[in-house]
Amino acid sequence: MKEKRKGPISRAAGLAEGVASTMRRMQREREPRVLVYDPAGYARLVQPEARGQERIMEIAEQMVARAGERES
Amino acid sequence: MSILTTMADTLTPGRAADSLCELSADVRAAVLLDAAGSLAGASGDGSEHARVLGDLARQLFEEVDRATRDWDTEPPEQVEVQVAGGAVFASRTPRWTLAAVAKRGALSSLMLYDLKAVLGELEGGPPIRRSGPPADEGTPGPAPEEFTAEELPMPELGE
Repeated sequence: MKEKRKGPISRAAGLAEGVASTMRRMQREREPRVLVYDPAGYARLVQPEARGQERIMEIAEQMVARAGERES
Repeated sequence: MSILTTMADTLTPGRAADSLCELSADVRAAVLLDAAGSLAGASGDGSEHARVLGDLARQLFEEVDRATRDWDTEPPEQVEVQVAGGAVFASRTPRWTLAAVAKRGALSSLMLYDLKAVLGELEGGPPIRRSGPPADEGTPGPAPEEFTAEELPMPELGE
């Protein structure tokens, strides 16, 4: 069980830990990757060395570039 | 000011991509393909960009199917690709494929949910409820329960 923080410094440290872990999670989520979801919603990662992964990334990059062109 | 929820009009294929953009501010562009892979709708103006995006969205699922062909699972229904400048999310049903280019940092779970919700509505599911301005501000009538939430007693915030 996690020990409860009591003082203001401990609470501030707890907040900082929370922010840091959120930032780490957001960073992880933005790493280049391909995820596929089955009808039940379970996600599976298409490994970088897997057949077709590189091509999927290329297509997505082209789509992002196209959307950017349209906006500009 | 009260919040009013209104039932959306019936969603048509031509409106689906725009509807997704209205649902999520993180969507930069969206396209809808029919079962044959042809462009059935696009956000914004129907331009050359939309046609190219539609082609790329079709290729995306073709490549995903190729990559996962040997997997001992059902064919993927949704795809998420995170790349340097943003992210691509796509969802499909037997009849439709909806793909969206999203801003970097868009929440995956929300994006995938919104895609599914729009496709569900397109397939004849219940329409998505959106908040909006009152339909007729000139005729104040008895307020339904959801309008009177602001009148509920606020809980005391204390120690």
